[in-house]
Order: sequence, then C-alpha cells, then structure tokens
Amino acid sequence: MLSRVADNLYWMSRYVERAEGVTRLVEVNRDTDLEFQANETGRDYWQSALSAMCVVDDFANDEIDDQEFFILFSKNWSSSVLTCINMARENARMVRDQLSEEIWVELNNLYLFLNSPALQGKFRSNPENFFRRIIRFSLIFQGLSDATIHHDEGWRFMSLGRYLERSDQTSRVLDTLTLLQEEPTRLDLIGALRSCSALSAYRRQYQGALTLRNVADFLLFSRDFPRSLRFAVSRIDALLHEISGVPSGNFSNEAERLTGSALAQLNFSGIESLLEDGLHESIDQLQRKLIEVGQSIFETYVLLPFEIKNAGVAPMVQRQMQQQ
Amino acid sequence: MNPNAFANYKTDDFFDEMFGDSKNSQSLEFYQAIYDRIGGLTDKEFEQKKKHADSSFLERGVTFTVYGDGKGIERIFPFDLIPRVIPDSEWQKVEQGLRQRILALNLFLNDVYHGGKILSEGVIPEEVVMSSAHYRKEMIGFDVPRDIYVHVCGSDLIRDEKGEYLVLEDNARCPSGASYLLENREIMKKTFPRTYQKMSVRSVEAYPEYLLRSLEYLSPRMSHKPVCVLLTPGVYNSAYFEHTFLARQMGIEIVEGKDLIAIDGYVYMRTTQGLVQVDVIYRRLDDEFLDPLFFNQESLLGVSGLMDAYLKGNVALANGIGTGVVDDKVTYAYVPEMIRFYLGEEPILEQVPTYLCWREKDRKFVLENLSELVVKSANESGGYGMLIGNASTQKEREEFASRINQSPRDYIAQPIISLSRHPTFCPEGVEGRHVDLRPFILYGEDIEIVPGGLTRVALKKDSLVVNSSQGGGSKDTWVLND
Repeated sequence: MLSRVADNLYWMSRYVERAEGVTRLVEVNRDTDLEFQANETGRDYWQSALSAMCVVDDFANDEIDDQEFFILFSKNWSSSVLTCINMARENARMVRDQLSEEIWVELNNLYLFLNSPALQGKFRSNPENFFRRIIRFSLIFQGLSDATIHHDEGWRFMSLGRYLERSDQTSRVLDTLTLLQEEPTRLDLIGALRSCSALSAYRRQYQGALTLRNVADFLLFSRDFPRSLRFAVSRIDALLHEISGVPSGNFSNEAERLTGSALAQLNFSGIESLLEDGLHESIDQLQRKLIEVGQSIFETYVLLPFEIKNAGVAPMVQRQMQQQ
Repeated sequence: MNPNAFANYKTDDFFDEMFGDSKNSQSLEFYQAIYDRIGGLTDKEFEQKKKHADSSFLERGVTFTVYGDGKGIERIFPFDLIPRVIPDSEWQKVEQGLRQRILALNLFLNDVYHGGKILSEGVIPEEVVMSSAHYRKEMIGFDVPRDIYVHVCGSDLIRDEKGEYLVLEDNARCPSGASYLLENREIMKKTFPRTYQKMSVRSVEAYPEYLLRSLEYLSPRMSHKPVCVLLTPGVYNSAYFEHTFLARQMGIEIVEGKDLIAIDGYVYMRTTQGLVQVDVIYRRLDDEFLDPLFFNQESLLGVSGLMDAYLKGNVALANGIGTGVVDDKVTYAYVPEMIRFYLGEEPILEQVPTYLCWREKDRKFVLENLSELVVKSANESGGYGMLIGNASTQKEREEFASRINQSPRDYIAQPIISLSRHPTFCPEGVEGRHVDLRPFILYGEDIEIVPGGLTRVALKKDSLVVNSSQGGGSKDTWVLND
C-alpha cells in the first residue's frame, strides 16, 4: 500500500482514540472536581489535568479561558477533542477509497456535529450526552474498522495507531498518580481507573480497598484487559510482525526491536521490581520507548531514506492545490 | 387535492426543457410522469425530500471546496430534484455529434504536433495555434500512446431559443463533474424510485468501468496487468471528492505527486513494501504543475522526471500533454473547419458563432456592440474573465474594451444566447432557471459516452452562468430508452 496512505490510516485512528481518551479524562475530572469542591479540599483538579497533558502554556495563550472548554474545543491545541476529530477526518478524506462508507459517514457526522454553531450551547445544556456521543462514536468506529474493512495492511496500520495511542493514554493517566504532592486518595485512584474505563474490570481482580500498588499493577501488567499497557504493547508487537512478515522474537527494524524489549519487560518483570526502581521513572522510560516506536514506524514505512522534511512548504502546497 | 406545482409555471420567452417553446402549460409528452409525480407533491413534501437529499450529500461528503480566505470551505454542490429529461431520439443526434467532435479534436492535436497540415494549408492560421497559452512545443514530433490525446473530454452544450443543441466549449484538459453525475443519480433513484422505473431511464453507472478500460488501453507494458493511478493535486483541491470517488470506483490508487518518484525514465509509487512501477497516470493536474524540471519550476505538486519518462514512452498520461490548445476559445471557433478538413463531413452539432478579436473586422464589430455580446477571455474557465453585455455597467464595458485593445488575441465575443430553462425548485416555488449540459466523452479503444451528462443549472434568477464557483447547481439527467 502507498506509504502516505499507511500514514493517513495510522493517524486517523490514532486521533479517534485520542479524542476518546481526552473525553474520558474530562468526564472523570468533572466528577472528581465536583466531589472535591463539595468537600473543600482546595485542590485545582483542572489545573492538574492540564499539567498531566503538558499544556499549561497552551492554555495560557489560548483565547478560551475556561479549562474544560479549552480541552474540549480549542482550535489551537493539537489534542483537543475538536482538533482530534477534525484531524481524523482530514486524514480520512485522503484515504476515503480505503474506508467503508459506514466508517466515513460516522466520522463525517461527528465532524459536522462538532463544527456546528449550536455545539457549545448543546454541551452546556447536557454535557453527559456530549461525552457519551464522543465515546460511543469511538467505539462504533473501532467496531466498524473490525467488521467492515479488510484485515490487511491498512487495517494493521489503523490498529497500530489505536494501540500506540492507548498505551500512551494509559501510561499518562498512571503517571499523574505518581506526580501528586501527597499520597493519592481513593478518589484519585478511582478517577484513574475510570479514565481508562477500567473500574469494574479492576474490581473483578482486586476486591477491597484501592491501593496505588494494585491500580498500577492492573493498568500496567494485566494480560487480558484491553487498555492495560501490556495488552497494548503485545498487540503492537504482533501487528508490527504481521506487517513485516518477520517472526516474533526477531526484529527487522527499530520499531520491532523497541517494542520487543518493552514487551519483554512487561511480560517478565512485575509491579514489585517496578516499585523498587521508582514507579514514575519506570513509567517515564516505557513512555519514551513507545514514542520512539511511533517515530521508527514512520521512518521505516513512510519516509524514503533520502527524504528531507521541509515544514515551511506546507502552506505553499495548499495554495497550489487550490489553483488546480 | 393540491393544485399541480407546475400549474402556475411560466416559461416566459425562453425555450423550456419541460414545456418546449409553446406558451401553453402542457408539459412535453416525455416529461409527463415527472409532471404528475413532482407536480403532485405539496411544498412541504418537496421540502422534505430536498432536505433529505441535501443531508445525504453532506453525510457522504459529496462536497466541493470554495476558495476564499486561504482556507477552503467545503460545500455541497447545490442539487435540484427535478430531473432533466432527454428523449432517445434527441440524444442519438447529440451522441453522434460528440463522437464526431472528439475524433476531429484528436486528429487536429495529432496534426498540430506533427507538422501541421491544417496550418500549412491555411485552414487555420498558424499564429492562432502557436500563440495559444496551452500549446506545448515539447510535444512536437512525439507520438502519444495509441495516437490519442484527449481520453476524457467534457464538451459543454447549451440549447438556444429554438431548442437547438449548440456546443459552447470543449474541456479537453481535466474536465470535472463525472462524480456528481453518478452521485446525483444515486440520490434520484432513492428519492423517486417508481418514477425512475416507469420512465425507463438509461443507466450511467458504467462510467468508472469505461474510464478504467480507456486508461488500461494506454499501458506501455503489454505483458503485465496495467498499473493505473489517479494523480490528484491533493486534499485542498476543489475537486478532491471527485478524485477519491473515481479512484475508489475504479479500484485504483489515488496518489499525490509526493507518492510518485521517477528514476531513470520510469515512474514508481512508493509503498510500504517498496517501489511499484506505474504504467498509466490519470492526472487531474494541469500540464504546468506536472513536472518541475520541465514546466513550472515552482510546482510542489508534480513529479520531477515525469516528463522524461513520458517522452520515453514508459508511462502514459491521460489526458495527454498540450491538449489545452483545443480549450482555447479561439481554436474553438475553427472546430467546424477541423471536422470538414479531417473527416470530410459536415458538423452534426452546431456551435455558437464567435467573433475573434484579433481579426480587425471582428474587433471593430465587437467594440461597437459590447452591450449585445458576451465577451470571454480565451483561456479562462469556471465562468471567470467574462462580460455579459446586457447585464454590464458602462465602466465594465470600458474596462473590457481596453483589455481587448491591449491583447486582442486573448478575447472572443459571442452573441448572447438565451439558454434554455428548466423548472427548478426555488424559494418561491417552481421557477424556470437556465441550464446547460456537460456530457463526458471517453476515448479509448472505442468512444464511450454515458447517456446524458451533468446538467448544470444557474440557480440565481435570470443568471446565465452555471458554474459551481458562481452559484450554479446541478440536476440529474435522464436519457430515456427508446
């Protein structure tokens, strides 16, 4: 398949997954914030959400002055829900021939909804509905990807985008717990699990009081929960080998090597040894490895070796496209 | 019972597609089923159907881009639900005329780039061709694959006050609109299924298949299944929807310039599994942008080395290079001569009488009669660079007069034709609006024309400009079985 097409498919599904993750985060944050305000703890939950996403500065420079609205609707920040859906659709437009009509219609409908003038009013009057719509869309999108298109190379690049994004989200959520000034409270732990849609799955494995150790163990090492880091990385590993045709356990490019080593760590170490090394440091290290995986996928399958990236050209290209 | 929606319809002084040139309110016989079905709808029912069709277009992303503030805005192509109907007998003649025309245009291009017999015999002045903006001297002496230059042609037809079909212009570079023709049909079949069936409408769905066949016909690699691609300027181009639509329908890759690479006289596309050789490029990119090494050096959309591969015969382009000579409205004036010269036949389809401003006598006449003429720039399209005399201001006429005097070669003038009108759903009910017709002619091993074409309609009251960039919309075109 065309390299550019692989790239577009990858980013399309990555942005959809990101929109879902960010939406869950906002939804959870809303609840937690409410709870804390009622109990007057004086903690600013929105501010910590912004720092977890590393966008404190972006928020300060944005024309939107409400933190929640910024995360959802900023046109300038590249990971707001609005931008994610716009980018997903932009990528989808470039590869419409690869998508089923159903996928396109769902994505396009959500795009039209998010860009309609009445949107913010609708959100204010019923935020629950809004969250549900975004999350439901993402799930429908995944279902349709699995049920209505060939499970060939293009589908594998889509899945790669999804799992890389998911691993990034999960590790970020977990990392916020390690960055708190004080011990995470029960509400913090519940919030983290809910952000990963993992609360009931967690309960089945661990009953009784919530602890950071157990939550971290579950979100990092669960073999079968589809949003755990281990699950995501093992999918990434399998997909990469299906794409290259090289048997698992070997590697033919940097992305495979890095994924293999991350997977080995998740398969064969455990929560105790991670706690020993420092939870934050370990998560940080894993996260960096996964960012490199994304970069190497791009270098292996999309770029030609002699290619020079010139970002300044983009507006010029757009102008010429329009002249045609 | 509701009064028929067409009951108060006025044809005024125009030829009307549905009511003919008669002044009575009886629709032409082949429109009867439409008259009954659509005429019987209440405004509300019609409104509902229209809303449904519009949202269906929007949902499916059947849009084009309007350029304005640097960022293109996506719009749906306005669509009118009252179809245009063409009886078989009428279509037969149009089809024959179009076949004849594309043959002559091709023979002309072949001649012009191979010695120019028609020029040396003085049928067409040599300087007219040589000074054409889209004449490509690089093509002199080059034999294009299968001797075909124009594989896809969109020739715009209008009807005058007597209902006579006239060719208004030829689009032999990258005509667009075929996807709307196909999508319009899909919507109409869903909206009026029984009427569609009852009227026995000829199908248009084979277009992508014909197109692919005529592309594959050009492949230089005989022993290999042809690898065809569609080259698009990219996602910001106004016709991008059409590009993805056609590529998907044909099952070929849609590529941008950066997806292709030319190495040692061959063109390859870059895939995740390495480079794959390309045989035929259906390019939706103008000549000037195709290859920065050959044409516009500034082009970021093209492929360096593409022309080298083309001239070596290792890759075919559709349409060929340099076909824009026949889009030139000055060349257009000579097409009847071409038909006589190459085919020894009389033109089957008439065309609009044209005054060429580079001829002194014509220029004098044009300048004296500006308010009764349409003046057009010879090499602009999309309804730009045009003066409609009777709707112009004194200032506009003066401006055009000075432009004509400055570069007479670039301007032509034609009498103002009152284009035929068609009942169209407007905010105040059903009213007549001017229409034209763009059929798509495919020239491969055979010449194929899907019945009808894209009917474009000027939605603004009294407007004669049907282009989508100027507030035009479209209708489905129903050619009936005999």
